[in-house]
Parts: sequence; C-alpha cells; structure tokens
Amino acid sequence: MPTALFPTATLLSALAGILLILILPSRWGGAAKWIALLSALTGFGFAVAAFRAYDLSAAQPIQFQLDLPWVEALRIHFATGTDGVSLVMLLLTGIIAITGVLFSWNVTQQPRAFFALFLTIIGGVYGVFQSLDLFLLFVFYEIVIIPKYFLISNWGSTNREYGAMKLTIYSVAGSALVLLGILGIYVLAPGAALNLQSLAKVTFPHSFQLWAFPVMFIGFGVLAGLWPFHTWAPTGHVAAPTAVSMLLAGVVMKLGSFSALRVAMTLFPDGLAAWRMPLAILATIGLLYGALVALAQRDLKFVVGYSSINHMGFVLLGLLTLNSLGLTGAVLQMFSHGVIGGLLFAVVGRMLYDRTHTRDITTLGGMGLAKALPFAAFTFTLASAASMGMPGFSGFIAEISILLGAWKSFPVLLIFAMLGAGVTVAFTLRALQRSFFPSLAAAQSAAAANPHATEPLPPITLPERLGAAVLMAATLAAGIFPKFLIDPILHSFESPQSLMHHLIQGVTR
Amino acid sequence: MSHDYLLLTIFLAIAIVFPLIPLALAWLWARFLSPAKPGKDKQSIYECGIESKGPARIQFQAHYYLYALVFLVFDVETVFLLPFAAIGFVKISVASFLAIMVFLLLLVESLVWAWAKGVLEWK
Amino acid sequence: MNTAFQLFKYLTPESFLAETAFFVLIAGLFKSTASRRTMLLSLTLLGGLASIAWIALHPENIVICHGMAVIDPLTRFIKIAIVGLSLIACVYAAASNVREHLAEYLALILFSTIGMMLLAGTEDLLMIFIALEMTSIPLYILTGYLKKSSASAEAALKYFLVGGVSAAFLLFGLSLIYGVTGCTALQDLAKVPPATFRDPLFLAGVVMAMAGFGFKVAAVPFHLWAPDVYEGAPTPSAALIASGSKVAGFLILAKLLIYGLYQARGSAVWAAMQPGWLPMLGLIAAASIIVGNLAALSQSNVKRILAYSAIAQSGYMLLGLMAADKTGLSSVLFYVIVYALTTLGAFGVCAIVEQRRGGSQLHHFEGLHQSAPGLALCMGVFMISLAGIPPLAGFFGKFYLFAGALGSVTKDGHMGLLWLLIIAIAFNAVSLYYYLIVLKHVFVIPPAAEPAPRSPRSAAGTLVGLLAIAIFTLGIYPGLLLDPIHNAVKTAAWLASPHPQPKTLPGITK
Repeated sequence: MPTALFPTATLLSALAGILLILILPSRWGGAAKWIALLSALTGFGFAVAAFRAYDLSAAQPIQFQLDLPWVEALRIHFATGTDGVSLVMLLLTGIIAITGVLFSWNVTQQPRAFFALFLTIIGGVYGVFQSLDLFLLFVFYEIVIIPKYFLISNWGSTNREYGAMKLTIYSVAGSALVLLGILGIYVLAPGAALNLQSLAKVTFPHSFQLWAFPVMFIGFGVLAGLWPFHTWAPTGHVAAPTAVSMLLAGVVMKLGSFSALRVAMTLFPDGLAAWRMPLAILATIGLLYGALVALAQRDLKFVVGYSSINHMGFVLLGLLTLNSLGLTGAVLQMFSHGVIGGLLFAVVGRMLYDRTHTRDITTLGGMGLAKALPFAAFTFTLASAASMGMPGFSGFIAEISILLGAWKSFPVLLIFAMLGAGVTVAFTLRALQRSFFPSLAAAQSAAAANPHATEPLPPITLPERLGAAVLMAATLAAGIFPKFLIDPILHSFESPQSLMHHLIQGVTR
Repeated sequence: MSHDYLLLTIFLAIAIVFPLIPLALAWLWARFLSPAKPGKDKQSIYECGIESKGPARIQFQAHYYLYALVFLVFDVETVFLLPFAAIGFVKISVASFLAIMVFLLLLVESLVWAWAKGVLEWK
Repeated sequence: MNTAFQLFKYLTPESFLAETAFFVLIAGLFKSTASRRTMLLSLTLLGGLASIAWIALHPENIVICHGMAVIDPLTRFIKIAIVGLSLIACVYAAASNVREHLAEYLALILFSTIGMMLLAGTEDLLMIFIALEMTSIPLYILTGYLKKSSASAEAALKYFLVGGVSAAFLLFGLSLIYGVTGCTALQDLAKVPPATFRDPLFLAGVVMAMAGFGFKVAAVPFHLWAPDVYEGAPTPSAALIASGSKVAGFLILAKLLIYGLYQARGSAVWAAMQPGWLPMLGLIAAASIIVGNLAALSQSNVKRILAYSAIAQSGYMLLGLMAADKTGLSSVLFYVIVYALTTLGAFGVCAIVEQRRGGSQLHHFEGLHQSAPGLALCMGVFMISLAGIPPLAGFFGKFYLFAGALGSVTKDGHMGLLWLLIIAIAFNAVSLYYYLIVLKHVFVIPPAAEPAPRSPRSAAGTLVGLLAIAIFTLGIYPGLLLDPIHNAVKTAAWLASPHPQPKTLPGITK
C-alpha cells in the first residue's frame, strides 16, 4: 500500500469493521468484540505507520494528501491529508479505540450494535482529523453525533435518556453554528470551493470575520467543553457507558478543539485578533470552574467529568496564546488528556462501578478497595498523578508549555490558570484519598452504613489490565520522551508553507 | 367619472330601500293591527287538512344525493356537447372530433362503472 | 399540425395513466379476491411504467398551444419522478388495510397523478388552476376513504374546505394577474414591462395566488389542514399527498414566480427589502420553519410529527426557491425528491406498524427494533435524513439549499439572506429533538407488552428497505440524482445562471 494511503486506511479499517460486524448473525454476537479489536488494532497500526513515514524535513507539512472529486456540482472533493498535529490526534484515536474495545469486553447486551456504533464514532473521528475539505470535515463531525445518542441511551447508566438527549442537542446546536460559518465561507469565496488549503489563502472581509470567527469557535467549542457551553459534558459523561465516556473525553472533545484550530483560527486571523481576549477569559473561567466544581462532587465519575472540563480549559487557553510554546502545549494536552481521561473513566466505570455498583466516594471508601482491587488502586493512583500534572507523565509537559505560553500572552490569566492547576491537585487527591485510601474512621463508618461493603469483588480481568497498561504506557512515553510528539507538532506550525504559520507569529499576516 | 358612480350609488340606494319598504310596512301592520294570538290548532303543522301525527322529520335518503351527482355529471356533459352539436358536425377537424369522442367515451365508461356498482338502483 | 393532434400525441403519458385507471376501474367490478388485488396492482404498475418509458424514450422540446403544455427535459424529468412516487403509493395502497374498493383507490391515485403531471408540464395560468384542481379533488376523496373512521372523515372535510377556499383565492389571484397584465401564458408575463408590476391590484393578485400554492405545499399560514389530514387519512393517501403533490407544487411555483414574475421579485435582503414576491416568500418560509418545528415538539402521534415536519421542510424549500436561479431550482428539486422518498419510506413504516400494532402513536413503535430490526433501521435512516444529519441525502439537500439561497444575494461580503439562514439552521437543530424522540421509542424504550414475534416480510417492507438504501446512497453520492437534475435545469432558458465564479481568489496569494 503506498504510504499516501496510510491515514485513509485508518478510516477504511473502521469501515471494514462496521461492515463485518453488521453481517454477523445474532448468535455469533460474541465475535463482534474480536472484530472491533482487530479493526482498532489495524487502524492504530496504520496511524503508527503514517507517523513513522512522516517526513520532518519536508517544506509542506501536510502530507499523505488524497483528493478525489465527490460532488462536482458544488466542487466538493474527498480531500484528506495529515500534518503533524493530525498525526498526533490519529495516534490518540488509535489508542483510545483499542482500549475502549478492551474495556468493553464484558458488554453482553446487543454487542453487535454496540461495537458497530463504537466503530462508527471512531471512523468519524479519524475522518475529522484528516479532512482537508470543509464539507467532508463537517460530514465526519456530524456522523459522530447520532451513534453517541444510541450508545448512551441504550447502554448507559445514571439518567441516561436525559443525558443522551442533552448531549445530542448540545452537539447539534454547536454544529448548527459551525454550519452557518461554513455556508458563509462557501458563498464568500466561491473560487476556492471548500478546500482548506485554498481557503487559507483567501482574505475574508473584516466584518464577516468579526462574527464568523466567534460563531465557529463557539460552535466547535461546545464540543470542546468551552465554558459556559460545557453543561452537556458532566451529565453526558456520567450517563455514558465506560467505553463511550472514554471516547467522549478522549477524542470527541478533541474534535472540537482540533477543528477550532484547523478551521476557525486558520481561516479568520482578524476575527481571532478581535475575539482572542474574551475567549481566553472564558477558557480560564472554565479551567477554574471545572476544578472548583470537581472539588465539591460526591460521585467519582462527576469528578472525572469536571476534570475533563478543567483540562480542556487548558487546551483552549493554550490555543489562544498564539505562540509556538502555547500551541504545542495545547496539542500535547489534547493527546495527554485523551489518554489520561480515558484511563480515569476506565477505572471509575469499568473497574469500579461494574463491580461495586456505586460511585459515591464515601461509600467506595468503605469497601477497602486498596486491598480488594490492588490493580485498580495502582492504576487510579498513576492516573491521578498524571492528571495532576506530575512530571514524568504527559500532562506535565503539556501543562507547563501552556502555562509558559500563557505567561507571554496573558500574564493576568496565567495567575488564574495556575490557581486552577492547584485546585486540580486538590480535587484529584481528595477523590483518590476518599475512595481508595480513606482514614480508618471514615472507612469504618462507611462500611457500617453499607451492607454490601465487605462482599468480595471479582478480580480485574485480562482485557482491563491490557487496556490500562496501554494507556499508562502511552502517558509515560509521552511524559518521558515527548520529543517524538513535539517534533511533528512544531514542524506543522513552524514550516513556512504551513497554513497555521501565522498563528505563531502573531495574528496578522 | 364621479357622474357615473353617482348614478350607480343612487341606484344602489334605491335598490336597497325599495324592497325594505313593504317589509317595514308588513312589520308595522303585524305589530299594531294584527298582533299574534297563537292557539293550539293555529300552530299545528299543515298536512293537507289531515290531522298530523308522528315526527315531522324524515331521514334524508342518501340516494337523492347520488342521483344528483350522476345527473350533474351528465348535465355538464350535455353542455359541452351543445357547441359540438350546433357547429361541429360541419366545420370540425378529425382531431377535434376524436377529442370529443374520447370525452364522450370516458363518460360512458363512468356510467358503466356506476351501473355495475349499483349506484343507479334505488334501495 | 393541428393543435388537438399535438395534444394527443404529446400528452400520451397522461393518456396512458388515464387508460390504466379506467382498466383498473373495470377490472375492479369483478369479484374481490386476494389474487385480484395483485392483478390490480400489476395493472397499475404496468401502466405507470409504460408511461415512464414513453417519457424517457421521447425526448422532445415543444411548447403546445402557447404554453398550455410544455415538453422539455425539466418537465420530463419531473413527470418521471411524479409517476415513480405515485407507483410507490400504489404499492402501499395494495399492501394496506383498504380492503374494499381497492380498484377505485388505485384509479383515484392515478387520476391525481395525471393532474400532477399536467401541473408540472404547464406554463399557463388557467391550466395551472385546472391541473391543481385535478390533483386536489382525488386527494380529498382519498383522504376520506376509510368510511368507518371518523378521523378520516374529519380529515377529508378539513382538507376539502381549506382546499376549496384556497382554490378560490388562487383563481381570484390569477384572474387579477390576468386583468392587470392581459396575459395568461407565463412566457407573455415574462415580457410585461416592469412598471405594470407596481399596480396594487397586481400585488394583491400575487398574494392571493400565493395562498393557493401555499396550501398545496403546506406553508404557514395555509398549513392548518396538514396535521389532521396526515393523521386521519389512510397512510397511502397521506404518503401521496406528502410526496407527489409537493414535487409538482414546487415546480409550478418555481415556474410561476421565476419565469413569469421574475421582474416582480423585489428583494428580501435584510434592511434593504423591496416590494415583490421575494420578501413574501421569505416571511412565509421563516414562519413555516418556526411554526412547523416548534409545533412538532409536543406531538405524540408519529404521523402528526411527520405533518409538522412537512410544514417545516416546505419552509426550507421555499427558502431555496428564493435563490431564483439555476442553483436555487436545482437545490429545491433535489431536496423535494429526496424528501418525497424519505416521507414515503416513513409513511411506509407507519403503515406497517399500524397494521401490526393498531395505531401509529409513539408507544406503538416501542420495541420495533426487536420485532422488526430491519424496519427499525430504515426508520432510523429516514428520521436522521429528515433531521439533516450526514451522511444521508437530507443533509446534502439542506446544505445545497442553504448555500444556493445564501449565495444568490451575496455582494462584497454582505449576505442579504443571512437572517433567514440563521432561522433555518437554528430550527433545523431544534428539529433533531422530535426526530430523536421517534427513534427513542423505536430503539430505546422497551415495549410495555410482550415483544411481538418477528414479523414476516411484506412487499411494503421491501419497498421501505429499498427507499432507505436509496436515501443512504444518495447521501454518499448525491451526483446520482444531482447530475440528471442539473442536466434538466440547464436547458431551461428562462432561469438565470448563478453569479459567475471569479477567476481569482479575493485575497493575498502566498
């Protein structure tokens, strides 16, 4: 297979997986998870192959380009290509896909439908990260929405119907804002059709940029957890089954921030200059707000959900710093939080909730989890350390880059961001301590209140261990040797031919 | 122009007032000269001098409606046939003759259908 | 050549359908058995396919009788589409619970189809009225077909009364237009000096004519018949009303407004509105989108949801019509055909559920994914396409509609119709809620009673499946439908081309 097709092959592997699962007869439903795993592994393999084949010395950062005419009447093409940022995201998607399947190994209710919908989301996410045509990007962006609804409302837990509907309506509302922007772009630059590379050379009228940029950024920001449009995220994450929470926090929220970078910030420099400060303020508020609210939660999954808002606030702040440190940090944080968020949801959902049927941190404290599920305790401790930004894990590199970038651009907001980072430590440690390592008195009172406290819990299965190992390895690798990620990312921003080059030089071209 | 409309307005006024005068006179007469004095025999329903018995309402036969429908259709057909009969026989072209024959045939077929469906029977 | 001969020769497809209808009527006079139902359906399908074949094999370009009937690629394409949609409704009719008088049912569908074909192929005001009535009157009867159902009778009465009043308005409006301009043919209307169009009597005529067309396409405020008719009528009738009559209605509206009254169009640009039919259309479109989407949110009967969604979709299509050029018409035709196919499919599912569960309220759909998973998947495809979610045809149709409308009045970065686009896109997002509610009942909510056993396949079910596949295919590759439409629209000389594409990009090139 020519190297140019490697990224497209990730899409094709997801599609092949869906088709194979759909033709399975219902009595072989158990084979669906194997097909899904195979498809996820193949997709990840192609992503890694593309990553290795990426040429860091080429002048054009967007490589592996594919352009097929699709709807000639509107000059829409099936145009895909990846640069360093996209590749990092493709890697992340591959990792989350594999681990998501591993952590869903115990799904017995309608497994074929579950894994087919799961692979649809994965395929859509792969597509968004590679699209160079705005229409194609939007198509993939929207493909992800409906499977989320059915996954959450059929296989979810707390308040699932409400959470699913809220999540879906919010996502569609955000997409509606994005569609408005895309239509505006389409009619104002007819010669460029909807090809990102051609559009990046167009100077849009100033008045248009002034409203189109915030509309598109906020439209994408809804999915990225921009405060105050984030309220779908905690409810949705809690309601979702484990794999879907991992997907949501891991890659779907990154769709929003990636597209904001790729589309809104690249195409509308004037609008970006005008709206940068208000949006940075919103990002910082979200950062702080997520951390403070997480500090008050009793449900462990809500803690993790709000920590997602917190970490995405870092991402959005980093994107808006507009220097290479901040932007690199933002992309690294996308990767890092994808992995860490996935790990946290995996522990809370799959390892704990499926066994203990509770997520209340005080009740969990009474179950002696450190002794009963040592692997879960180990994993959650590691994940908490990573989430807090401990050096050695990917979160540290990402957050320090963002903070240093913010020092250059938003020194006042930096103070609040660091406050937020501090509160992150607080709520993470609180959750960790109360659920896994409670004080003796707290443990005894919780155990007395809960009649099921001392029932033996089933051990952690092999797929869970494998999934956790993959995620931990990913965050450690990115934390100890971040160069393999930073090089492609910097190359994508600093190449003179890059579409995003203007972002690191200050805003005007 | 105002001259024409003025005449029209006067005409309209007279047209409205003219019928109202006998009505008003009748009302005045009824009020002052022959007030109502109802009585049992006077208010009873007229049925050709015979004592009326039973309710006044009879159920409307739906068949009247069907007959009226079929009649209407063929009546309109007759109207369409009139100009054809008056002039067409002499001066019409083949194609127009064909057109009117098609029209006739369509309606004949609908008559056949109505006949076979029992519309023309009185039940 | 004699005009009457011309009529016979070129209106052969309509004659085919008329003859088929009469054969079906005669065949229906014999005793009713199950095999006879199949025979009636086969006869209908044969006649319809013969009609389509004739149209496809006789590419002609002719204007008969100064615009009474026009045969050109555009009208031929739409006539084929209309006959195809009617045949699907006929299959539903044969598979439905209309037990007695099936022959008359099929004949009425065919008569209405003839009316739609005449409507699509005309460019004369008087013929528009005749064809519109010829379409509507069989539909009134078809709505009231279930003699034992009071909902059906109520629906038919409402449809007839509202239809009668709007036909009266239409006729009065058309006669006012004739009175002011002195012509009934659209080609003559197009040549009338623009000063005539400032006459208040003329504007009144256009508004009244719009009442008639607004009724046909179920636009606000002429939409009040739609919910009751869609709910009360037997499902094949509702399917025909929702699909075929809309296609013909939009084409003739486009012709009347864009061909005949192009110079009277005014402008609907925000803060720069000019009197004409464009601002009127804009208001009607905005109202339809808002009312249709909001009213559907609280419905509990799936057919009523489909009715209100039809009102909203009419709003989107009217918005697309405001582009008044080749792109606008192509986008409207693409979307109306896609919408017709989707609605036919959705009504097909409703018909099957009605037969098996006894109603089409939301709770009758519960558990469908267990008892008929294929059907449930098809319903999913239809609802998601109606909501405008990729990768289905409904999304591409909406994108094309919106892009065409927005692009038609964009000058120097100012987008005049942005206000209408914002309304349309915002309420489109709202509409996903009620489509998802239907799918929630189909896929998520467990059935209250024992789940019904797997139901056997039926002709209607297979047809629904084919429609779902068609919608999915058109979403992935819209060119299949878009290219024929473009080829047909290209030949319409009366349509303006969209703004010429600039050769260079407005900006600095790196």
